[in-house]
Amino acid sequence: MRKTITVILLIIAVFVPFATSDILPVIGDPQSAPNTHVSDYYIEHAIEECNSPNMVTAVIVDYRAFDTMFETTVMFLAGLSVVIILANRPKKRIPAFSSLKRLKTADGRPVYRTINKDVMISVIEPLILIYALYVLFHGEVSLGGGFQAGALIGMTYLLDIMVVKRQRPIFRLSKAGSAALAGIGPLIYALTGIVTILGGGLYLEYNKFPLSVHQAELHSIGITAVEIGVTIGVAGTIITILNALMERTYFDDDND
Amino acid sequence: MTLILQAVLLLGLIGITIAIIFGKDLMISVVIYCAFSFLTMLLYNIMGAPDVAFTEAVIGVISTVFFIIILRSIDRKTK
Amino acid sequence: MMTTINAYLAAKGIYMLTLVLLALGVAGIIVCNNYMKKLICMNVMQVAVIFFFLCLGQKYPATIPVALDSAVKASEYVNPLPHGLMLTAIVVSLGTTGVGLSLLLRIREKYGTIEEDDLIRREELMNRKAKNGGNRK
Repeated sequence: MRKTITVILLIIAVFVPFATSDILPVIGDPQSAPNTHVSDYYIEHAIEECNSPNMVTAVIVDYRAFDTMFETTVMFLAGLSVVIILANRPKKRIPAFSSLKRLKTADGRPVYRTINKDVMISVIEPLILIYALYVLFHGEVSLGGGFQAGALIGMTYLLDIMVVKRQRPIFRLSKAGSAALAGIGPLIYALTGIVTILGGGLYLEYNKFPLSVHQAELHSIGITAVEIGVTIGVAGTIITILNALMERTYFDDDND
Repeated sequence: MTLILQAVLLLGLIGITIAIIFGKDLMISVVIYCAFSFLTMLLYNIMGAPDVAFTEAVIGVISTVFFIIILRSIDRKTK
Repeated sequence: MMTTINAYLAAKGIYMLTLVLLALGVAGIIVCNNYMKKLICMNVMQVAVIFFFLCLGQKYPATIPVALDSAVKASEYVNPLPHGLMLTAIVVSLGTTGVGLSLLLRIREKYGTIEEDDLIRREELMNRKAKNGGNRK
């Protein structure tokens, strides 16, 4: 009863605004209201002021760096709350579901095999890590940035923890260690702002670093330091959530 | 021309959502969610936002694997 | 015929399809009984909102927001401001999904089920048992 009323009300809410009003702008119009006023300034002055041809990176890390700092803090808080919610010790195990039939060959070995660990660990994971470092440091010239690099490092840890049970990992962090790593990211970000205050400017104003290099170089140094903070924060959060979730669930048909 | 391509992909997304709501097994919903994430990545590429598409590709994979890890310890059949 | 379809899509069609996707996400949260499907429909709603934002920043004969040479004109590049906001939104939605899944694990431990009807019935049984057990003393 409540479900059919809801669906009917939603159908009415979708079609009535579009039959009666015309306030949304036409797609593809360069003179519409969201495409003027301040975005023109960002596009035209991104190269000469921020020294980065990638305008999206210039917007999120240079012109609006304060918002990105709080976004990294929110990521850290999400990782921390997952650890806190799953902090109890369960009294009995979750009952295993015996719905998987294990096929066996004639001499007792199971037919189901895992992926070959030696090829996966020693060939693919270092390539992904090198690509993550490339995406981090070239974020201001081509596509990329801090978020993508942090997620790629998290993906490497995911491969590592799901393929090999507890033998020969590349890097393995405990739950408390990964939560600490997720907290170091916003700390680096906030410290960059304090260094610019010590140089005599406002918070996160990259022109006033206390270093004696050219003005374009100052923006590059500021952007790189801030993006390293974002990368460590995002990678730490993903590793924390994975560690907390993998303690509770178990894979009952892995036998190596 | 690109607008017609975007409309076709949006219709595909709407069809996938209906398949997620009416699926009888939770594993079907999770695997179709992975396809949903891939289609949204294509959609962001066509619209001229390759940064957003790159981020969505990586995070779609990680989000799907979160769902699959949880799926090992709950009941897979649903009404 | 193609130009009339294009003109209709640019003015109203794509917004209407986006709103249908958002409404389907909300309907999925209300109609589905299983908590895991509600989490998946939450992600569907997020995709619809992000697509709406990116629609507002499109310009017709324009290229991606990476500057090719030093002399830039503002009408040749796509608006980069919605892209920046949506990057943040996608990464924060990953954290939200993680917290939602951890709450799901705790519900599963306490009640033994994640369907909504069974959960309401079991909670009433537990409340009644607690009240009866307290009154008997």
